[in-house]
Amino acid sequence: MGSTPTSAAKREGAMWPARTRVSCWQCGSEHTEELFCPACDAIQPLPEEADHFQVLGLPRHLVIDLEALQRRYYELHRRIHPDLHQTGPQAARQASLRNTAAVNRAYRTLRDPIDRGEYWLALLGEGLGTNNNRVPPDLAALVFEVQEQLEEMRAARHGDNAAALRCKMCEIRGELAERRGVLVRRLQDNYASWDADATDASRLTRELKELLSALAYLGTLMRDVDKELES
Amino acid sequence: MGRIFGIDLGTTNSLIAYSEDGTPRVIVDPETAAPLLPSVVSFPRPDAIVVGAAAKALAPHHPLTTIASVKRFMGLGMEHVTAADREHYVFADDAKGVVQFRIHGRDYTAPEVSALILTALKQRAERVLGEEVRHVVITVPAYFNDSQRQATRDAGRLAGLEVLRLVNEPTAASLAYGLDKRNQGRIAVYDLGGGTFDISILKLHEGIFEVLATNGDTRLGGDDIDRRLAEQLLAEVPATLQHDPEIISQATAAAEAAKIRLTNHPSAALELHYGGLDIVKTLSRDDFEGLIADIVERTIAPCQQALKDADLSATDLDEVVLVGGSTRVPLVRQRVERLFGRQPHSELDPETVVALGAAVQAGVLAGGHKDVLLLDVVPLSLGIETVGGVMERIIERNTTIPATAKQMFTTFVDNQTGVDFHVLQGERELVKDNRSLARFTLRGIEPQPAGMPRIEVTFMIDANGILNVAACDQRTGREQSIDVKPSYGLTDEQVEQMLEESFDHAEADVSARLLIEARNDADALLRATRKTMASATVEAQERGPIDAAITRLEAAMQETDYNRIRELTDQLNQATTPLAQRIMDSSIREALEHKRVEEVVP
Repeated sequence: MGSTPTSAAKREGAMWPARTRVSCWQCGSEHTEELFCPACDAIQPLPEEADHFQVLGLPRHLVIDLEALQRRYYELHRRIHPDLHQTGPQAARQASLRNTAAVNRAYRTLRDPIDRGEYWLALLGEGLGTNNNRVPPDLAALVFEVQEQLEEMRAARHGDNAAALRCKMCEIRGELAERRGVLVRRLQDNYASWDADATDASRLTRELKELLSALAYLGTLMRDVDKELES
Repeated sequence: MGRIFGIDLGTTNSLIAYSEDGTPRVIVDPETAAPLLPSVVSFPRPDAIVVGAAAKALAPHHPLTTIASVKRFMGLGMEHVTAADREHYVFADDAKGVVQFRIHGRDYTAPEVSALILTALKQRAERVLGEEVRHVVITVPAYFNDSQRQATRDAGRLAGLEVLRLVNEPTAASLAYGLDKRNQGRIAVYDLGGGTFDISILKLHEGIFEVLATNGDTRLGGDDIDRRLAEQLLAEVPATLQHDPEIISQATAAAEAAKIRLTNHPSAALELHYGGLDIVKTLSRDDFEGLIADIVERTIAPCQQALKDADLSATDLDEVVLVGGSTRVPLVRQRVERLFGRQPHSELDPETVVALGAAVQAGVLAGGHKDVLLLDVVPLSLGIETVGGVMERIIERNTTIPATAKQMFTTFVDNQTGVDFHVLQGERELVKDNRSLARFTLRGIEPQPAGMPRIEVTFMIDANGILNVAACDQRTGREQSIDVKPSYGLTDEQVEQMLEESFDHAEADVSARLLIEARNDADALLRATRKTMASATVEAQERGPIDAAITRLEAAMQETDYNRIRELTDQLNQATTPLAQRIMDSSIREALEHKRVEEVVP
């Protein structure tokens, strides 16, 4: 189970640090950053710099089967959760607490396709940057329309045509959701490209940034619309 | 490690339970067989403390020296005390920081009062099982914030307990339910207790109980219903007496009785007979429901929010479970059924199910339940104060615990050696609308130009839902020292000091307790012996030594030497042994032997 993280073949190039050999805190035998000591089975503290894929013991692939991810998450919990190490020595309790927190964080990030993409960029040393507020060009028209409708709706909240405006807003929300669906599919294609052949990393990175920017923008817009519809 | 016990420290009632052979059991009062210990502490005299049913009975006569519902004040500051609270309690108004009650001139914090309840539970279990109670799991409302959780842990410490884990009440209840029920699916646990409301949405998967979302209100429960009914009575009382603590207390007791009757009857009488007042109001179920509708309605928005956070709709749920005594109110059941569109489950006693679940979790921690695992969440977002009084969230609500976040801090002026930061919990944008947890100071930073130091602070919410903070100087790799000033909690030093003070009182407390227990045990044996003597033919030569032993014991019981009472109880026990052996009537023998079992328990 927890003892088979990334195989060497999956650690592509210099992007990923090579795993070092460490000693078990309990029996002293050496291992390569396993979750449990191969010799005495004691829980081992994850290295501080372990990334989310390593923490979950997954290959560094951007396409993730969510059901398999959840199975993996539960499997890990059944071995490392603090409840199961309560009666163990202090070092085991400490490792259990920290590893579980790391697993929870990794799972929360990787299960969400957008968070996963942003995390991937962070691993590459790239952020979405500050120009994130720029309206993505092919969304500009839609954004303009939504903002206008929102204004109108706020102004006429109790007016005669409030119901009609509301109806229009629901339609717009549907359109936004559809746009979002298209973007998420393109995001999945981008992920598949990374996994298949990452030689053109700079093109894929640029595309990933554009997609995530657009999705972030749509997300904010949809939240605004929902808020208005709920009020 | 000895056995681990599960404790439900409730607003109205508390329970203690344990697991044996995988089955959780509630420990009942050895005298009355009652599973519930009323969470009431009374101080009828400066030197006397009474806990439980006896304290509840004292409440109408000693309203201002009896504390009920202390849980409502856990982790709160004096500024959170309301005008309604002041009708029921006397506070130490000159005190700053955490809530303090003033009783016979002495101030008690909420954890100190709760510790007295925990001690009573501990003693009950020790008497029944004849073993020391040291390691416990205590349940808390899922929506309790960090201060309220810390206060609960402090109460445990003050009671001489080692609190291995705080477990959320609805989650504990789901453990008790889930063990013998379906193993897959999504369930909602609606927990309306005496003073708190929780809603938790869980996903069950092969023994893993994963909380998807939780919400609630830590000041909403049966108490509010009682107060609403009491107001009906008080409205009839002359204005000059409406704020009389004894009358309020009597009215509240009458309200509770009427509420309970209305669960199974179409109407009930609200009666107040006190000090020349004779008020009787008849209340139909419809009247009752009209009066409390808004209180029940307050539980709905949290349920909707929890569903939304779990990304589910009501139809996605497989089951809805009711927990907490207030879910016995028919209107509550109807409202829950309407909201979720299905009939809720309540097969297990809603008042004991949380304690049973706590015992299951105790079994998990002890290594006895390997196939069950709880994955709970933090109920409220955690954040730090940033420029302009805005809270920056660093851990979102409903994040699975344990959870961590890291934050980098630096200095703003040259050679600055300390950095302060303020940690909050809540969902609002502005600092002032959220609950302050603590102020931290990073100390002993090496003097450097402004902005140069890089101190990484790790926020860890552990499996109890309690925040732990550690800091590391990124340049030296050394651990950075931090001072913590809790906003509404006790510091470690304060808890230590309270423990020391309680040791000073401990000897007197222990003597009083030992005397009461010795008298109770002697009394039980006397009653059993008389019953035997009355129902069997007893030879004169048998009767002589027994009568003599009875006379000596009765005389000793008038005095306060508990050792002598114990000694003479033993003598009476020995004197009755030949008689007991002779009488073959097994039921009588059982009665005597049963008394002896209690007798050997310290």
